[in-house]
Order: sequence, then C-alpha cells, then structure tokens
Amino acid sequence: MLSVLSLQLFRLQVAERQDLSEIARGNALRDIRVLPARGLVYDRNGTLIVHNTPTYTISLAPRYFDRTRIPLLAKHLDVPDSVVALRLQEAQDYNPYRLYPSFSNVSFAQYSRILEDVYLLPGVGWEIKQRRRYPTDARASHALGYIGEINREELNAIDHESDSSLYRQGDFRGRTGIEEGYEPWLRGIPGVARRWVNVYGLEIMSYAQGQGDQPPRGNYDLHLTLDHRVQEFAESLFVNKRGAVVALDPNDGGIIALVSKPDYPLESLSQGIQREAWQALLNHHEDPLYNRATMNLMPPGSTWKPFMALLGLSEGLLEGADETIYCPGYHPFGQGRFFRCLEARGHQNVVEALKNSCNTFFFELARRMDLEVFKKYANRFGFGVESPTDLLEQTPGLIPDSAYFEQTGRYWGTGAIMNLGVGQGDMGVTPFQLARYVAALANGGTLYAPHMVSHLVEPETNERLELPDISDPIHLDIDTTHVNLVREGMRLVMEAGTARASQIPGIPSAGKTGTAQAPGNFTDHSVFIMFAPFDNPQIALAVQCENTGNGSLCAAPIASLLAEMYLKGEVPPSWQTDIRMGRALSATSESLTQVAE
Amino acid sequence: MRRWYRNLDISTLLIWIALCACGLVAIYSSTHGEAQEFLLTTVQNSFGRQRLWLIISTVALVTILSVPMRLLVRMVPWIYLATIGFLILALVIGREVGGARSWVYFGPIGFQSSELAKVGGLLMAAFVLASRRKEKSILPTAAIAAGALVLPALLIILQNDLGTALVFVGLIPVLALCGGVPLRIVGLLILFPIAGYLTILSWPVALGFTALVGIIAWYGTRNRIWVAAGVIASAMTIGVANFALQYVLQPHQVARIVSFSNPEADEYRANVGFHLVQSKAALGSGGWFGLGFRQGTQTQGRYIPEQSTDFVFSVIGEEWGFIGGILVLLLFAALMLRLLWLARAIDHPFGNLVVAGVAGIFLIHVCVNIGMVLGLLPVIGIPLPFLSYGGSALLTNTTLLGLALACYMRRAEFSLYV
Repeated sequence: MLSVLSLQLFRLQVAERQDLSEIARGNALRDIRVLPARGLVYDRNGTLIVHNTPTYTISLAPRYFDRTRIPLLAKHLDVPDSVVALRLQEAQDYNPYRLYPSFSNVSFAQYSRILEDVYLLPGVGWEIKQRRRYPTDARASHALGYIGEINREELNAIDHESDSSLYRQGDFRGRTGIEEGYEPWLRGIPGVARRWVNVYGLEIMSYAQGQGDQPPRGNYDLHLTLDHRVQEFAESLFVNKRGAVVALDPNDGGIIALVSKPDYPLESLSQGIQREAWQALLNHHEDPLYNRATMNLMPPGSTWKPFMALLGLSEGLLEGADETIYCPGYHPFGQGRFFRCLEARGHQNVVEALKNSCNTFFFELARRMDLEVFKKYANRFGFGVESPTDLLEQTPGLIPDSAYFEQTGRYWGTGAIMNLGVGQGDMGVTPFQLARYVAALANGGTLYAPHMVSHLVEPETNERLELPDISDPIHLDIDTTHVNLVREGMRLVMEAGTARASQIPGIPSAGKTGTAQAPGNFTDHSVFIMFAPFDNPQIALAVQCENTGNGSLCAAPIASLLAEMYLKGEVPPSWQTDIRMGRALSATSESLTQVAE
Repeated sequence: MRRWYRNLDISTLLIWIALCACGLVAIYSSTHGEAQEFLLTTVQNSFGRQRLWLIISTVALVTILSVPMRLLVRMVPWIYLATIGFLILALVIGREVGGARSWVYFGPIGFQSSELAKVGGLLMAAFVLASRRKEKSILPTAAIAAGALVLPALLIILQNDLGTALVFVGLIPVLALCGGVPLRIVGLLILFPIAGYLTILSWPVALGFTALVGIIAWYGTRNRIWVAAGVIASAMTIGVANFALQYVLQPHQVARIVSFSNPEADEYRANVGFHLVQSKAALGSGGWFGLGFRQGTQTQGRYIPEQSTDFVFSVIGEEWGFIGGILVLLLFAALMLRLLWLARAIDHPFGNLVVAGVAGIFLIHVCVNIGMVLGLLPVIGIPLPFLSYGGSALLTNTTLLGLALACYMRRAEFSLYV
C-alpha cells in the first residue's frame, strides 16, 4: 500500500510536475502593477507647487470576504453596516474574485485599525495611493487643472490589448489644465512587481527575489514658467471680482501667471469630490469652472488702439507717422451724436492719440480701412484664431469680416466698422490673446506660443526633456519704426496718459487702458494691457475685470502691481502702492443677479 | 539487575521522534512563514500548542511504560467503559468543532473523545480475542471483539465524525487476521471496501475485480461455496454502491465521494474538489527537492485548507519535495515493519494483538490520509499520525505507540497469567 502511495507521490511531484506547478503558479503568482508617483510640478523659480501625499484605499474581494465580519469592518471604517454590504455588492458585480477599491480616502487611523485586524478580515485588501497636494497659496485652478477618477467609458475606450496596465478602475487621470495636457508624462508607465499572493489575494512575498520586476518608468516632473508669487498675488487682488489675468514672458511666451476668477480649490478635487460639492461648482451662477483666461470673449475696448495704430501705419491708412487728425470731441460721422470722444483735443498724431486714447482718431482710421484687410491683420496678430499653446481649452474669438455681417444679417455700415476701430461692437478677444499680442508689441513683433511648461525632468535619472511640440515663433514683419511709435504711445499712457496713476515706481513701462462695453445695463468691463520694463521687457500682461468699470480703475493697477511683483520680487510700500492697491481692492464686479432683478 | 527499560525498543522511539520532528517543522512552516500576520491568532499558536502536547504525550508514554503489564491487562475493561462513557459525555456536553460534536473541554484544554477512544477500543478488542479459551470456536469471540469496536464507532458516527469511525471498522480485519480468524473470512471482509472503492472509480473495473475474486477464491479454497460467497459479496457491493450513488445519497454527498477521481472538473473545483486541486498543485510545485523551508508558495498562501492538520503532507511535499515526502513514507514503513517485528517477538496473543493493532491503526491513518492528500481517496478527515496538528491525536497515537512498546518491553510478564 505504501508503495502505491509512493508511486502516486512520484507521479504528482515528478511526472506531472509541469502541469501541477502551472496550476500552483496560476493560483499564487500575480503581477501587481506598480504605479509611478505622479510627476511633481515646480514653478519657474524651482518652488514645488504640486506634490503627492499618500491616501489609503480599502478593497474587497467578495468571494473571500467573510460576511459575518461586516460589522467589524463597518466599525473600523466608521460607516453603517449597510454601507459595507452595499460596497460588497458593487464589488461582487465587478468581479467576485478580484479586489475592488471599495473605500477610498480612509483615514490613516481607520487604515491602521483594519491592518491590525486583517487576519480577521479575509478578502480585505488595501492600497496606498497618492493624492495631489498644493503647498503654496497659489491656486492656479485653471492652469494646473484637476485630476479625477477614470470612468468606465474611458476605460473601455483604452485599447486593452496594448495598454491594459496603463489605467484601471479607480485610477486617476488629469481632467483639465496641464494635468490633462501632460497626462502621459506626469503619469508615466506602470511597472510590474511579481508577487506571491495568498488565497485572499494579499501579497506575501516577492517572486525570485524581485527578478523580473519592472520598475515604473517614464514619469516626469514638470517645470513651469509660472511664477507662484505673481500667481498668488494676482489671485489675492481679485477679491469680489470676476475676471482673468494672463502674464507672459515676452521673450519666449512662457506663462508667468494665468488667473481666472472665480476659481475653486484644487485640493478639494484631488481625491474624488462629493457629488453635492461638484454640483454646486457646476451650477454656480458665476461658473468657477469656466476658464476665463482663455475662453472669456469680450470686446478689447481701447486696448485695441495700439493694434489699430499699427494697422494704420503699415497699411498706409495714415499718410505718415506725423499725420494728425482733428478731434473736436466727436467724429463728424453721425453728426457727433454717436461717435464721441472724451474731450476735444484738437490735432493729434498717432502717438498723442494713443496717449490720450482719442476715439476720434481711431474712428477715422477704421472709417478708412477695408474690413477684409482688418480681419487678415487681426488674424496675423493671433485674434480670431486659436493660438498654438499647451493649454487645452481656448476659444478663437471673433473678428468680423463681411461674410460674418452678411451671415448674421447685422447692419454693417460705416458706423459698425468705425466702432471696431475702438475695440467695441461685434468682436471678441480673450485675455490670453491680448497677452500674446502685447508680448509681441513688447518684443518688437514676434508672436510666441504661450506655454505653461518650460521643460520636464525625469526624477530618477535627471534626464531633461525640452518642451514637446510647441510651434516656432511667428515674426509679424512689421516695420520697427511703426512698432516703436506705438510703444512710445503706450509709454506715454503710463507716464502721462490714462494709466498714469498705475506707474511702477522706478521702472518705466508701457500700457493701454480699455473699457469694454458690456451688453445690457451692466457696468463696463475693465481691460488693461501692459509690458515692463519699457526698454527690456520681461513681462507682458493682459487683465480683464468684468463689470468693474473703466480700465484705469481696476485692471491697470492690478497689472502694474503684478509686473512690479514679478520684476522686483516684492511690492515695496510707497504712496504709489497705496493708490494702486486701494483701487485694485476696492473695485468690485457688479453682481449679475442684482442687476437682473 | 538490568533496569526496567532494558527491553525498550530504541529504534521505534527514534522513528517516533523523527516523525514528530517532521510534523513540528511542517506546522512551524505553515504558521510562522512570511504570511504569518494574515493568520488567525489561534492558528498562529498551533506550533506552540503542538509542542506542549508533545510534552504531555511524552509524559503519557513514560507513564504507560512504567505500568506493570498485569495491572494494565486488568484495567482494560475499565478503560473501555471509561472510553464509552467519555464518548457519551461528548455527545451530551461536548462542543462542536468542524462539524463533529466530539470535543470535551476541561478548562482550556479540549480532548477529542473520538481520538482517545481508539486506545480503549483496541485494548478491549485485543482483550476479548486474547481471553478466548483454545477449545472454543473463534467466530463468536471475534464477533464480540468486533462488537467492541463497532460500539464506539456507532457513537462516533452519532458525533458526526464518519472518518474516525471508519478507522474502528478498518481495525476489525486487522485484528481478525492476527486473532486467528481464517484468512478466507478476513478476505471476505476486506472485499467490501475494495469493491466499493473500485465501483466509485469505474464499475467495469469493479466487475473485473469480481471475476478476479472468483478465481482467487477458487485457487485459495477449491470450494464452490467460498467462490460463490466472494463473487456474490463483490457483486452485491457493486450493486448497492451504484444504487446508493444514484438513488439514495444527495447530490452533494455523491459529489464528495466521487469528486476525488476528477477534482479539476468544472462542477467540483470550486467546492468539493477544491482541497484536492490545491493539494495536488502544492505537491507539483514542490518537485524533486521542494521549494525549501517556509518557501512553499501554496503553503504560505494558504491555498490548501486544513494545511497544518489533515493536509500537512502537502506542506511537506511542497516545501521538501519528493525527497521529503518519500522520507516520511519510509519512516512510516519502517515504523510499521518494526512494529510487526516486535509483534512476532511477543509470545502472548494479547501482546501480539495490541502491537499488530497499533500498526494497523497507523497503517489505516497513513494510507487514508496520504491517499486523500494525493488524490487517490475521497476527502476523509483523519489526521496523519504524529505529523498533523492536533493534541488529542498526538496523545492518542503516542499512547498507542507506548502500549506497543510496553507489550514488547514487558513481554516476559505475560506468561505469568496465561
């Protein structure tokens, strides 16, 4: 009898070894995915602005879970028994034999309690995941973007033949901003750790001392062109206001600040948001999720005048830089009733017209221009078209041509076209486009692709990756003397013109105020474009403040303060500072609901 | 004068120590591996408790060796009565563990009455057989002896522990053979289980077996009546077994019985076949030399249920490989052969019967347990002597071994009162 047993033992252990050990490996060997830590984000000075902290997830494998332990698990998780039962059912529907992430973001205390009792809780697994944290005061909600759990449709859309390990149920991915745009680099490629697992699916030891494990790879840290000090200062100046700021480095198009207000705390979205909170964000009447910096269309107002001046000089609408146009306080077209100027300034050349923001001068330029040329020229400056950038959402804006007026059936006589000359009427530009345009004025005529990321660095190897796939700068081919005339006009705006109250102490700069008419009975929008220092521009800004009134009242002081912060690293106290701060902080966006009543 | 232990058989003791050591190693590995933290505290303590039981068992062994043979023999009926009483006690106040109501607790220590009953049953049956007058016919005595075994077996079935009860029944032919019951009757007795087993495997083979029985019976006895008895018994077993499998037993019972021959089948592998699939996988993953101490992937992952108790052999098979498994089998073979050699050296029927019965009990346990682990037999929950975790079983088996050693050591004392 014992020899029969020996023979069978031989058969199982030696003869059928291959097949049986295959079953054993199938039982107990599991390839466990190792996610790389999501890439960190640094600002242009190397300050860490986005990093990760661990969160704890409890998973359930219903087939192995002992249902009599529901009360114990519920007690440890501080939830009613019924919740555990419900999650078990969900996991059961997914796959009864696999661990399903049933409870995410449990506290460390809850996680520790469960770990202590894990021997009483078969079929319970855990996972430590990373959660995004934002250590600085800069929110930059729209620029950085949030991450969210991948949903079923997206999972199904992934080609599972090639990428089955890339995303799984419960994984997070970038949803907006650079989190979405740089998702492949931030996420990297998951590695594999071969582990022996026990009958409950829990890891017990490594396979062959870790041979054959593949470490995760391909994750990069992002280095942004953003300056977190300017960003957080800008956000702080926008109390009680709606609006946007885009600040660019005029020498390469790097985005120094990108503000859209109102915004939302990314922190609250970094770990799966509550449904009610999300609905509240979605339905908020001021729409905090809307990226005003790249999406908000409004007429540019008088910030359009530098563009018109260049158009006039380049296209020969003016007989020369010295041609003057007489301003009696209104444009004679329409008997002086509709096309008014702020005051009668007499004969003005282009520089004086810019300095004084003379409407009559630019009405006249518009009256002389051809609408198609206007549109073509505007498109060259990046208006009415999408810009190359690494930001994902933008609107092209609206620059009308004859086809537009024909199609919409609007009146487009001389009056409508003259309105375009002062940046009002049927046109819409974004702060983003204004910033790109003022950066081109600052650097003498080169349009850069605005971008958030300067370079990427692989944290392990320090391998440096230059910014991927952004188009080359576009040279506008405009006469330098023309640009210099416009720049001179803008300098005078700061020194003695409409924005003289918003000078940066000690730093010469150039700017242009704008007041965009708001439809209906609402207060006008305040708009401002600016670059500084005048001789060697380092920053170019566009600011839009919704329904706050005149451009010099709100947008100009904000732009000036931000430029000073960027250039000096601080805003030292002075009487100029007091004036600008006072104006910036006291300006308030008119409530949309109030007027509607 | 030589000391009282001068006739103690050292080699048996050495084998016993070796087997117990193998058991402790396997239990330690399955409870103190890298996955220790995932185990129930009670399981984690298995090793320590088994060590404690080993000490208790050693004390019992020494005690038994020091009892004079005459006193021992005189105590047999009382031991038997105590055994029956204990079984009934378990039925009344016992605690149910693993479905069987056979546990009696004295404070924290629990005794499995069905295990301990093996001692009393064996002693009583041997006592009855040995006390027969030479001139009386063997069969009535044998029937009484068999009854002495069937009574505890019935009580144990009432406790819902069929596996242990089968050991008592299995002991009947062993003792019968040694007690002088004619071979042909013993042959007839073991015909039933073999025919039944073959029926489960494949009834054509069982029919062939029936023919073989007829041929052997003819050459063995040259008597048509015996041939007829053998063939009819075999054929009846086949018929009854088939009938029971098809009409009497519930489907889940049938599945338990027949699944061992094909545990991988889809309808079995997740439930009744689970033990065997995992057990075979563990053995296969061990290969020639095993994966090493505390390195068994199936063992550490607890894929085999009951791995420190009934399926302890699969732990040895996975971690120590074919070499380790064969070593354990060889140790058991050596133990059995040594016990038979001891039995032959004793000149008294009681001594013969006890030693042979002990060997028989061990043989049944080893064959049924390892046969089960290897997938040759249905899953019947009986432990592997000295290796499986379980205090009562260790105590019982050590006591049995002690009785065998005592009978050999004190074989000279028998002649005084024959």
